[in-house]
Amino acid sequence: MIRRVLSRPTGRIAIGILSVIVLLAIFGSVIAPQNPLTTSPTQLAPISAGHWLGTDYLGRDTLSRLLAGSRASVVGALEVAVIALFAGAIPGILSVYLGRVFEWVTLRLVDTLISLPFLLVAVAVTALLGNGITQALLVTGVLLAPNFYRVSRAAALSVARSEYVEAAQISGASPAWIVRRHVWSKVFPPISVSLAYTVGVGFVVVSSLSFLGIGVQPPAPTWGGMLSSDLSYLSYQPWAPVAPAVLIIATVWACNLLADTIRDVSGQAGRAFSIKRPQRRRLALSQGGA
Amino acid sequence: MAVSNAAHPITAEGGHGVAVAKGRHAARSLLTNIGRTISIFVPVFFVATFATFLLRALSGLNPARIQLGQNATPLEINRIEASYGLDRGFFAQYWSWLSGVLHGNLGRSWSNGYPVSTLIRDGLTISLTVATLALIIGVTAGFTLGTLAAVKRTTWIDRGITSFLSVISVIPAFVIGIILVEVVAVELRLLPSAGFVPFSQGLWPWLSHVLLPALALSFGCMSSVARQLRSGLIGAYRENYVIGAIVRGLSGRRIFFRHVLRNGIGPAVAVLALEFPVLIGGSVIVESIFALAGFGQFASTSAQMGDVPSVQGVLVVSIVLVVTFNLIVNLLLGRLSPASQRGV
Repeated sequence: MIRRVLSRPTGRIAIGILSVIVLLAIFGSVIAPQNPLTTSPTQLAPISAGHWLGTDYLGRDTLSRLLAGSRASVVGALEVAVIALFAGAIPGILSVYLGRVFEWVTLRLVDTLISLPFLLVAVAVTALLGNGITQALLVTGVLLAPNFYRVSRAAALSVARSEYVEAAQISGASPAWIVRRHVWSKVFPPISVSLAYTVGVGFVVVSSLSFLGIGVQPPAPTWGGMLSSDLSYLSYQPWAPVAPAVLIIATVWACNLLADTIRDVSGQAGRAFSIKRPQRRRLALSQGGA
Repeated sequence: MAVSNAAHPITAEGGHGVAVAKGRHAARSLLTNIGRTISIFVPVFFVATFATFLLRALSGLNPARIQLGQNATPLEINRIEASYGLDRGFFAQYWSWLSGVLHGNLGRSWSNGYPVSTLIRDGLTISLTVATLALIIGVTAGFTLGTLAAVKRTTWIDRGITSFLSVISVIPAFVIGIILVEVVAVELRLLPSAGFVPFSQGLWPWLSHVLLPALALSFGCMSSVARQLRSGLIGAYRENYVIGAIVRGLSGRRIFFRHVLRNGIGPAVAVLALEFPVLIGGSVIVESIFALAGFGQFASTSAQMGDVPSVQGVLVVSIVLVVTFNLIVNLLLGRLSPASQRGV
């Protein structure tokens, strides 16, 4: 699938941007020209040879903070997506197989998570639970889980109603074996679309939280936190928010682009749109007939 | 003449009977719609409020630490915990908390002992003003852009709108907020960059302070409404009954309003139910950028102080808002497309 994604220009652009960002996250603090935490008397300095992106309100080198701050945001977004994947996809697949009570309970939980005001809950709960990065990632991951739940449940439902699974059940295959053998290959493409998309959303949420000083507190450098301090000094450095903002937007855009490309190459694109209605009607008919 | 006289009462009666039957049918379908919607949202309300209640147990915070500091005697701690009713069993506490919530009593703040409902009230006005305005801007602009793109589909107008929407949909609300402050408030000096002025001091001072925050919040809503509407309308334009209407020579305007809009608007209305919690949740970040003392800011500062009842109060109020809005959207959807009420 990676090869097919790379065969498209949009996929190449997305992978290109994301690899740059990942490289920044891995080597950022190594290639940072100065210590991102040391203050200097030259505060709010303009762009110069010594400070390629100037300095901030405490005289810290902006470029170094940008490079060193990439890790927190990128790792945070990835962890959020992985937590959401496990918290969502496992109950989503199991909801089809573990009986009506489990199904009802998980559906209500998902309804609830969807209708919660996302950022407000993330901020409030993280701050109450001790305002650390672990709490922030866990809360955000659980809040993003419904997306995976619905996607994997829909895919698992389509497999569960298929004849080859019925045949496997009749031949005495265990649910675990059916999930491994038949369900996973059906569920994998939509889940990877959701994963790419959720990394983008998680990135926005992690930056939003660090913008508010939730999860990662200053003086630790983060892109969101840098934007927050830039906001107070806009009249001195109107160009300061550009670099972190561009990096955030590029990352999110690349994630969305990657999600769209995976959807296109795995043939998920038109399916939801064009087949949904006839399929539902056919289901209703077959249920009515039975 | 005699014939028509004789026929007239019959048709009138027949028409009357049909109208009554139709009215009864509409009333029944409205009731089942309300019933189904409530059966979805009552569990949501109870699960969400229970999770909110659990926050105190999960956080392990208590009012004595906030009010007395580190060097408090156990006796004083006990006295304060008892005054907040924290010495009782878990379910007794939950029951009194829930019945308080259902009666509009959100408990007392741990930091100053004031009732949470009075503390929230002012902030709620500000946040609701901004969120409502954002919703109005988002829906109006979203509908205009989505309709325009669908009517002019595959032209450069459609392509321009679509790429504009995909650009703004990836910009986080706080970056949009900063861009707006930067361009409109700092560079152009058109609108104030922070603060809130109540409506009683005049329309323009009030509007000028809430316009930028509302605009910053509205972008996400705008892009999802416009995208859903565009694809919904284009899907409806492809249907055979639209081709039939064109063949019969109906005007483009009539086809759009009678055949296309009614059938294609569903997803755009449905996505509003998903966007509203985002609007309410986004208040916390927009209020921080524009220095508004809304309930998002209140929740954030209370949470960092460890004032659990205040946070719970804000969460309960926002859950009620979201559930109410969802009910309205569901009723609207039921009216728009009766087909959506048949089984899920």
